Amino acid sequence: MSKRDSRRNFSAAFTLLLAFVLCGARAEASGVPIPHGTIEIVAQNESIQPGRDFNLALYFQLEKGWHIYWANPGDSGEPPRVEWKMPKGITAEEIEWPTPHRLGSSTIVDYGYEDAVTLIVPMRTETNLAARQSAQIVGQVKVLVCREMCIPGKAQVSLTLSIKAQTAAPDSKTEGLFSAARKSLPQHAPQSWKFNVDDTKSSFVLTGNLGHQTTRAIFFPLNESQIDNAAPQDVTPTPGGFRLTLRKSHQLLKPITRLKGVLVLADDQAYWIDVPVSKAGAPRNNSGMNLQPQHFVEEDKAT
Amino acid sequence: MKRSIVFPVMIALILCVTPLLIAAAKVGEAAPDFTATASNGKTVKLSDNLGKYVVLEWHNNGCPYVGKQYNSGNMQRLQKQWTARGVVWLTILSSAQGKQGYVTASEENDYMTKMHATPTAALLDPTGEIGHLYDAKTSPQMVVINPQGIVIYDGAIDNKPTTDLNDVPGATNYVSLALEQAMAGKKVETPATRPYGCSVKYAN
Repeated sequence: MSKRDSRRNFSAAFTLLLAFVLCGARAEASGVPIPHGTIEIVAQNESIQPGRDFNLALYFQLEKGWHIYWANPGDSGEPPRVEWKMPKGITAEEIEWPTPHRLGSSTIVDYGYEDAVTLIVPMRTETNLAARQSAQIVGQVKVLVCREMCIPGKAQVSLTLSIKAQTAAPDSKTEGLFSAARKSLPQHAPQSWKFNVDDTKSSFVLTGNLGHQTTRAIFFPLNESQIDNAAPQDVTPTPGGFRLTLRKSHQLLKPITRLKGVLVLADDQAYWIDVPVSKAGAPRNNSGMNLQPQHFVEEDKAT
Repeated sequence: MKRSIVFPVMIALILCVTPLLIAAAKVGEAAPDFTATASNGKTVKLSDNLGKYVVLEWHNNGCPYVGKQYNSGNMQRLQKQWTARGVVWLTILSSAQGKQGYVTASEENDYMTKMHATPTAALLDPTGEIGHLYDAKTSPQMVVINPQGIVIYDGAIDNKPTTDLNDVPGATNYVSLALEQAMAGKKVETPATRPYGCSVKYAN
């Protein structure tokens, strides 16, 4: 290769790099900055109809390799928290958490999201909102962003929506984001599926009867300090489903009555389950299983 | 004759292997023993402190959860308060070389001088050996060991799993609670919690 060629190659590479940097910067400019990423608040509808519920969402975009956390962050970290400020007559519900991912190493495992994630927040309204023309909604967000290291961030996001008596029309600009976010939420497990959990000395054994054999099952506990997050989850296919062995956490010193969380099966299909725990060998009680709404509250976290 | 040789060899082998088989520290069980080099150059052996309460504090000076405790002066207060009452306070540095929180002995000594930190000793654990022995997941994870060498607390420093300095004053400190209750001859009410914080930066 001649000197000239290599110079030309170099300048081509430099141009590409420059374009990459500039485009990258442009893509990130749309939200409010957080450490190694951005956050944006978006509404599903163009306006608010008094007395009708509506949805907002927090859309996080993160630089490659950085992550934020699920409701139960796992071994380290903490979930994002939002403090809402808005007119009387509007109240925010709990975040609807998308299916998390296992992040980390062989000894420390966290539950969270990389790249980008949309957290839907259902909002309730009262009819007396009709007296107003518009509503400004402000979210003060605290979020821990981690890769190898962790950086706490704070951001204020806000949007103003008009208040109209007629049915609110979906915002075409955010439609795609909300429909993708809905697909990332765990579903209710079908009624016909039966689960039980046996409490053995060192593990919880979760058995699922789904009517077909399953070779893949990953469990994400909603509550902290129940299972050893980093321990391999040993799945055994059975004719009607699977058996999953979950090692107990060192920090779990008392028996638990229920095991709740998200179960991920083949093709990343995810389901909320909430299963009573029975002592190994004790009579099983399948009837006690509850199907839970998608947004669990964090009230019984053992912090 | 042959048997008389085999038997002691077997015993010796079992004794050699046993420490390796001891699982990570668990509340109510014996604290696994270790020997480590402190930043002051001294050698510290955990079992030399039998008869005293021992606190283990996992540290990483770049972790914002650790920063919350040190920048508020809370960790230093705890170290001062409890070492004055005869507690052995061991700060443990399990970050691997090249990772956040890794320090040389002199860097750690400078840090402690600057921060007015007064643990009994700061132990250098760049191989993560002590960290893994106790299954330490985070900084600042805390372990309390009683004078009989039994783990009586393992988990978070307090009940506010945040990086916010404002959360220090109102927090329930689990380490102080465990020490107070144990010293008063009472049962430790909260012997284990989720040890919130930054993941310990072990070697890959």
